[in-house]
Amino acid sequence: MPGVLPPAGATWPERRRRALGDPTMRAAVAKSTRSLAEKKAAAYASYPPGEAMRAPAVAARRSALAHTDALLEEFTRQVEAHGGHVTRAAGPVDVGRYVLGIARRRGAQRVVKSKSMATEEVALNEQLEAAGLHVRETDLGEYIIQLAGERPAHILVPASHKTRQQIRALFDDEAERSKVTPPTGDATPELTAFARRQLREEFLGADIGITGGNFLIAETGTLVLITNEGNGRMTTSLPPVHIAVVGIDKVVATWDDLAGLLQQPPMSGTGQLLSTYTSFITGPRRSGELDGPEEFHVVLLDNGRHELLGTEYEDILTCIRCGACLNACPVFRTIGGQAYGSMYSGPIGVVLTPLLGGLDHAPELPKSACAMCYACRDACPMEIELPRHILALRRTEIDNSMEPTTMRLTFELWGRFWANPAGYRLTARLVRLGQWAFMQNGRLTRAPGLVGGWTATRDAPPVAKETFHEWWQRARPGSRT
Amino acid sequence: MTRAELFVSCMVDLFRPRVGIAAVHVLERRGVELEFPAGQTCCGQFAYNAGHHREAAAMGRQLVRAFEGVGGSAAESIPVIALSGSCAAMVKHEIPELLERDALRRGRAPATATRWRQRAEAFGGRVVELSEWLDGHDAPAPSNGASSEPGAPGPLKVACHTGCHMRRLLGLTEPPLRVLRRAGVEPHELVDTDQCCGFGGSFGLIEPEISAAMTDAKLAQLATARGEGATCLVSADLGCLMQLGGRLTRSGDEFPTLHLAELVDLADQGQLTAAEIGRAARSQGGDA
Repeated sequence: MPGVLPPAGATWPERRRRALGDPTMRAAVAKSTRSLAEKKAAAYASYPPGEAMRAPAVAARRSALAHTDALLEEFTRQVEAHGGHVTRAAGPVDVGRYVLGIARRRGAQRVVKSKSMATEEVALNEQLEAAGLHVRETDLGEYIIQLAGERPAHILVPASHKTRQQIRALFDDEAERSKVTPPTGDATPELTAFARRQLREEFLGADIGITGGNFLIAETGTLVLITNEGNGRMTTSLPPVHIAVVGIDKVVATWDDLAGLLQQPPMSGTGQLLSTYTSFITGPRRSGELDGPEEFHVVLLDNGRHELLGTEYEDILTCIRCGACLNACPVFRTIGGQAYGSMYSGPIGVVLTPLLGGLDHAPELPKSACAMCYACRDACPMEIELPRHILALRRTEIDNSMEPTTMRLTFELWGRFWANPAGYRLTARLVRLGQWAFMQNGRLTRAPGLVGGWTATRDAPPVAKETFHEWWQRARPGSRT
Repeated sequence: MTRAELFVSCMVDLFRPRVGIAAVHVLERRGVELEFPAGQTCCGQFAYNAGHHREAAAMGRQLVRAFEGVGGSAAESIPVIALSGSCAAMVKHEIPELLERDALRRGRAPATATRWRQRAEAFGGRVVELSEWLDGHDAPAPSNGASSEPGAPGPLKVACHTGCHMRRLLGLTEPPLRVLRRAGVEPHELVDTDQCCGFGGSFGLIEPEISAAMTDAKLAQLATARGEGATCLVSADLGCLMQLGGRLTRSGDEFPTLHLAELVDLADQGQLTAAEIGRAARSQGGDA
């Protein structure tokens, strides 16, 4: 079954216009991406075991894909043996129905969440709010984004496109709404103090805590959560119910497999050798234990993933959501994450968005959000062949005739002429005859058709009076050619 | 006498034949007996990256055929020197699989498809990017020319940009720098040197504004290098140079942009002066 993603919202030209026209956001993104990329490089350089563990980690992820169904069954058995519950969700509707079912049964009103891309993918907040529940994001970045009414602009650092001044303004508004004291300034400690005070109340009053999950360990039915803020632990331990929504791609077989993997997300994401908090959750609170929820649920989300197993795109399911490809990508650095129209932005978003949501979902991404520079391929700790997948998606879009007819004809004609030397040389002569009409000071400053895209922002040289082919014929007559 | 064949790329052929001519002079000075297979047109990368694989494969087959023709069976051992790192990467890493897949798609027998892949691999195996070739071969005797402006304080500084495919697909980051140093200039890598210039093939034409914004970031780093004395911008890929140079001239900036072959050619002749560099950069060549 193909998946369903929330709609892209505004059209691509509109999203692009907004992004390019927002110098504040672009400066913030350029700064944070470069800083994260540098931290990643420094982490691997300073800690050779991290690099040494990468190959086994990749192997563990790929081998898990070959046994996904069996591993998910084992995981389910283990969670249930520890008193937890596991359900399979084909897509957004299933997730919403399951969570709302629990909320209704328990009479729950208030939900706290820690950062989770899977719940973004199924628009869980919107589903719960539509049913009258109060939902609060408790990851600082997600909290900011929720107050701004936006989607995360980065897989790992969702609010990295916002400045401290912008964040203070959002907090001032929130203080006004909830009739509390606003932040005392826009320094980081002052902002976090405000968020902590607000969120503390949310944790204490919450009926349900919802998280994602970084990995699932099949052999013991353990949920692995990697976070940098204490909010993750409070979400999983303070409310009486903990629900984890996790993609089926996150399962690994054993703790040994996890050993090599565990450091890869923090090393590649933030340049930390280990994140501040690494939580292993196996079932709800047992009798005699002091902490933990009464109920523990895992929702295994498919949403188009299972369909990718065994295809040329399969390795995309080994993604650990570290965001390294975003930080390396020159297009992401230029336009930021909101322009992608998907919670998955950057190179991984260019590939994952159409694969999960269908080719019609943001069809512009493969051709418009990639300069084919291969920086993402080099950045990916899981060695996902992102450029190859983007090329395959472009090809598929062409094969499915998802392109304007004029463009298709341009390429057909071009291919016909340039696939033989006489045709190639003929086009050079023809362009030379016609190009004077588009020239200024010896350069092409405008052009028709596809080339007009070039001259829109750059000058182009005209076809030379004598091409190299012609020069060679003249300068090296009689040489073997 | 070393024999080699020249693969100029369609961009050099059409838009800056001067680069090809400079490469001919540079290579002949180093004792290479050059051949130029006239059947070469385009490697098909632009169409390939745009998703038009049928057209790309047609161009790819022609390129493979063109380079099989020259030396008969001896051709198998003759290196093909490429004037573009990006086209060299296309030929070495993409065309074999592309031709095989396309043959199958056109309903050819699997053996025929395999044959196309093998032919493309044989061709790709012979392809050497120009700076890699120069890096592995001796330069002509220094009597051929002093390599610095008389009275100049130290070697001429040049900003350099290595294309993404050359860097990441061919892994050639050091050879162009070594070649430039050996030519007597001081290469100056830009801050964020590994960031794309913004061209990106079809991307640059479909998304002119994003592309230009990326270029402007690169040009901001170039401005810093210029402030530190860089006299021109050098690259072994004409695509990047056309992107960066085209954006510069769009804003009325005539800062010289040169292909590595042109710079080495000037160095060979002892013409490494700001005036000669400027003159070279302003001419497409081949317009005699």
